Amino acid sequence: MKDNFRQSMKWFHTWVGLSVGWILFFMFLTGTLGYFYQEITRWMEPERPFIEHNLSNEQLITTAQTYLQKNAQGIDKWDIYLPTVRNQNLRVGWRNPPEDGKKRGRYKTTVLDITTGEKVESRATGGGRLLYRMHYRLHYLSTKISYWIVGFCAMLMLLAVVTGVVIHKKIFTDFFTFRAKKGLIGWLDIHNVLSVIALPFHFMITYSGLLFFLFTYMALSTNLQTNEDEYREMRKEIFPRTIHTDSANQAAAMQDLSSLYQQAKNTWKKDELSAIEVFAANDINAQVRFIRHETDITYNPNDYVRVNAITSEVIEQTPREYTVAGMIHNGFYSLHEGQFAGPLARWIYFLTGLIGTAMIASGLILWTTKRKPKQLKKLNGPDFGYRLVEQLNIGTIVGLPIAIAMYFYANRLLPVSMVGRVDWEANVMFISWALLLIYPAFRPATKAWREQLQLAALVYIALPLINALTTDKHLVNSLSQQDWGFAAFDLTFFTVGCCFAFSAYKYKTLQPKKVVSRKKRRQDNTLDNDNRLQLPRISKENG
Amino acid sequence: MECLVSYFINFFNEPSPRWAIFSRVLAATFGGYALATSSALFISQLLSSSAGRYQAIHIGLLLSFLVYACAAMWVFSASNATKAWIGLIKWNLAFLFGTWLLMQFSGASH
Amino acid sequence: MLLLTSLSFLAMVLFCLAMNKHRKQVFEQTLPKLAVLLFRPLAWFVLMFTAYLSVALFGWSIGPALLFGALTMATFLLIMVLTYNAKIVPQLAIASLLMVSVSVLTH
Repeated sequence: MKDNFRQSMKWFHTWVGLSVGWILFFMFLTGTLGYFYQEITRWMEPERPFIEHNLSNEQLITTAQTYLQKNAQGIDKWDIYLPTVRNQNLRVGWRNPPEDGKKRGRYKTTVLDITTGEKVESRATGGGRLLYRMHYRLHYLSTKISYWIVGFCAMLMLLAVVTGVVIHKKIFTDFFTFRAKKGLIGWLDIHNVLSVIALPFHFMITYSGLLFFLFTYMALSTNLQTNEDEYREMRKEIFPRTIHTDSANQAAAMQDLSSLYQQAKNTWKKDELSAIEVFAANDINAQVRFIRHETDITYNPNDYVRVNAITSEVIEQTPREYTVAGMIHNGFYSLHEGQFAGPLARWIYFLTGLIGTAMIASGLILWTTKRKPKQLKKLNGPDFGYRLVEQLNIGTIVGLPIAIAMYFYANRLLPVSMVGRVDWEANVMFISWALLLIYPAFRPATKAWREQLQLAALVYIALPLINALTTDKHLVNSLSQQDWGFAAFDLTFFTVGCCFAFSAYKYKTLQPKKVVSRKKRRQDNTLDNDNRLQLPRISKENG
Repeated sequence: MECLVSYFINFFNEPSPRWAIFSRVLAATFGGYALATSSALFISQLLSSSAGRYQAIHIGLLLSFLVYACAAMWVFSASNATKAWIGLIKWNLAFLFGTWLLMQFSGASH
Repeated sequence: MLLLTSLSFLAMVLFCLAMNKHRKQVFEQTLPKLAVLLFRPLAWFVLMFTAYLSVALFGWSIGPALLFGALTMATFLLIMVLTYNAKIVPQLAIASLLMVSVSVLTH
């Protein structure tokens, strides 16, 4: 392509990154929020009670079992989710029988009030689940199309990561280098820094993202080598499943789950339980599986204890056998999802995800910053392509966070009894994003940046207020009750809002020195006149 | 009409950089995919006796994305688009021939 | 986790002090030559120890994942400090050393 390998790769890196940068930004940001999807769902269902309880696991299990006996008769498999740090409510779940013409019924979880043992009615919402599913389902598109688009983007991301390493001349000598006050060089430095410090994460998240739909993307290869039965067998070898217990259609009285739990406690020598699965409930074959917090990225047989619910005998489980490749594959899944992470590690996952998001944003901004001096000199104004990129940058890098805030606003402000409420929450988000994408077309770039940054600051700072006005879970209450889930939300919104406000302020003052707010991509000083004059020299130095 | 035709001829004119880039994109996307697939076939044949058939197929698939990435990078570093295409075809044929050869040895039916 | 992060921070501080251009950012006076020579091996030692600790505490599967997370956070913090207030790097290093000892003692 160019004179030498590194130059060709530099060209390739630029265009690979630019062509899908905005979709990648969307995928990274919504995916990053997914690390807190349970917490987000709880925030979006404010009717759920927060109760400081000192009930034992046994009492909670009994409450759940009583509810299930009453309301889930005839359902084969029950799930009970105990209150955890991430989700302080007791929940039960089961899959309803399929409706006509459907293969599977809908899975439904119900939040229980632990004081009364009754169901908690909360507003209809897509919650954090809908938000994080967007990062691979792209919401409006059909499953098939979105998987292929996501795969294509992830493949280009992988290419961008690999070429990025190839073209970075001095990974180790520039490891800590960030010359913030130097315009273009500053943008290049921050792009490098954000890429290099989280390189293992970037590679892991991209490669494992591709692995999720490995058999869809590489279908040609499997089709050439296996027929349908062999394919099924191969999948079984890669993803070994625990044996499912079928019911014998012979009713039998189960023992109390709470007394069966003693078996799990004996095995673990600890009172730590996160979920229970009941197979073939109220049947002669009934079995119960007690699950604790994951302690391994593939499968640790010690995390599960299986008990016969009629005789209360522990059923010895043969550990799942993985092939080495299967272990790698499943390990990548776990690393991508981060289910094993405790509170602090979860925050690190979240922040690292934001670093990835910021890396993409800084790359996109770098593209325009580099071309700015030349484009501004053109007689007829900047090219269409340049203006388009600038517009998409403004509409996505600042617009998408605003749109996500609108998703939260919709949750609080749409009428609770509204028909199609779940759909409209997401519609509000995408309509506002569309508006914010169009808006910069009618404004000069510098004004559009500033106005959208100000808007972002406003919506995020106002979110805790709206929360206080529409629910009783405002900061004073949540802090005094030590409801850290809600308190963290209000504080995070406020912090994000302040970061936006700070960058809007810095953008306005247009100082030559570059200022970086601590939180993601908000370094939004463009170059002022002095800097613009220096640019050609700097870019030569860099090229 | 004539103007339109000449526009298209110019657009896809052999030496024009636009056509060359378009050709490379096609080579990287589809040629790269073909190479990823053929390399997966080769690797699975190579390993099937030592790792078991299914695991061998699986390893081939796991590595195919890396092959794909390398192929795409190579396409864009080759000095011109024709060379990129020829190189891809060569490697594809090499992998397929290797697969065929290994199949002769192992006597596998696939 | 806190232990891993503060140890990673220490290792990264040592790495950066081993480099001329960053040492000048942090210290005005020149350091004894021996100390400078020691920074890099010491940094590798702390890094290796952190890696060992992550595996010992969290196992082969989760340990390395947490180690990389901790390293990312520590490096990011260090780069930001170097850029905006390089002079407080030694104080932060001492603080993280304290944090290490506290979390070791409470363990």
